[in-house]
Amino acid sequence: MWEYRELIRNLAVAELKNRYQNTSLGYFWSILSPLFMALVLWFVFRKLFGGEDNYALNLIVGIMVWRFFSTGTCACLNSIASKPNLVTKVYIPRHILVFSTALSSLISSLLEFIVILPITFYLLGHIPWTVIFYPLAHVLLFLPVYGIGLLWASSFVYFRDLLQIWEVMLSILIYASPIIYPVTIVPAYLLKYYMLNPLTHFIIIYRDIMVNGTFPGWDSLLIVLIFGIGTFIIGNFVFNKLQRRFAEEL
Amino acid sequence: MAAINIDSVSKSFRLPHEKKRTLFHNLIGIVKRQMSYEEFWALKNISFEVKKGETFGIIGKNGSGKSTLLKILAKVLYPDSGTLAMNGRVASFLELGVGFQPELSAEENVYIYGSILGLTRKEIRQKYDQIFEFAELENFKNMKLKNFSSGMYLRLAFACAIHANPDTMLIDEVFAVGDTAFQKKCSDKIKEFQNQGRTIVFVSHSMDSVKQICQRTLLLNKGQMVMLGPTEDVVKEYLKVT
Repeated sequence: MWEYRELIRNLAVAELKNRYQNTSLGYFWSILSPLFMALVLWFVFRKLFGGEDNYALNLIVGIMVWRFFSTGTCACLNSIASKPNLVTKVYIPRHILVFSTALSSLISSLLEFIVILPITFYLLGHIPWTVIFYPLAHVLLFLPVYGIGLLWASSFVYFRDLLQIWEVMLSILIYASPIIYPVTIVPAYLLKYYMLNPLTHFIIIYRDIMVNGTFPGWDSLLIVLIFGIGTFIIGNFVFNKLQRRFAEEL
Repeated sequence: MAAINIDSVSKSFRLPHEKKRTLFHNLIGIVKRQMSYEEFWALKNISFEVKKGETFGIIGKNGSGKSTLLKILAKVLYPDSGTLAMNGRVASFLELGVGFQPELSAEENVYIYGSILGLTRKEIRQKYDQIFEFAELENFKNMKLKNFSSGMYLRLAFACAIHANPDTMLIDEVFAVGDTAFQKKCSDKIKEFQNQGRTIVFVSHSMDSVKQICQRTLLLNKGQMVMLGPTEDVVKEYLKVT
């Protein structure tokens, strides 16, 4: 991988340039769309959950986390099938295509998170010092995005309905995670199963460091790490098996 | 030391009875227990060695397995059996301008294509002016690639390719494009590569260009080796068969 670092960089930068140049407002839009989504959800649900501490800010942080997870995995899913030339006409290790796509999603997401800082300052009156752990949390989230990306990118070459299936799963996931509502409304008998969702733990971690100003619990960190490494190992394994016939399928 | 050593390589393709492209169709296929594909052997038991600095031709009729063999050498396809050993930096030109992005400028594309061909950023920067000079596109560095004519596109891709500096080049008739002047430039460049002691594997339908540049040639038919030897003899055999 290290040997191909310049190629990875060039591909990731090209992807970012494509993403931002194709819309007239570029980077600006990529920030506006999650903020608008947060605004709409806040407007709809403020009567129900508006009494919770820092509901608006929690909402924005939750949406940003979900957005990196969903756009990152969707972009990765497409990263092989959308570049048939780089698979069938030249040899480069194929996982580089997934990695550079995941990397460009990571960079987009980092840029989006920057706007949270002034919003945090406006809503809280201060910025928690634990925000400095934010890049670390993002690296933790990158791991499953890349792992799932490898799994879906390779499977998508063979099964072209995966994108639709994954989009449905993602839309379920947004309601199965504490993004719109607080964890406290989940009934006690369901909570055990509810907490199996790794995205829930990611959101808890981000809220701890970005809103509450506390260090996240070790249990959440452990679950998230196991999930990340697990998806990476599975994704890598499946990808290596399936990539042998990529050039024939594309 | 051999530049390429390929030993009893075989490759089969799966020819599906009906193309199943979705998870849904595949699940149905499993339930019905259908045999979903047939095997077709595109290459059978191919073994040869290409010496360092040699120019090696591969000829044969359409569907004889030439391109499949070249793709295996390029590592785009994996052989089902047999082994393949390549020494040194390999650049494959199955198509020119792979990875070019129409929305980006010529300059950015030179860096992307260069890194796909295995050049480092530093090497590209050093060769940057030469590339644009060779392509005769010095005034279009900042133009988006989508506004290039097909000729300009090709010249830029070719200029990048010949500056890639590989030890071994795999060429699949890509250089048989463009006008006469461009083709002259290409064949001059290939001769220069030969003089520099680089290894070239060349796939072509044009017997004239094969005779012109290849020292040894392999004749394929239906995925099997028919003859391997000095180009003159192999081309004679090929013309006799067809």
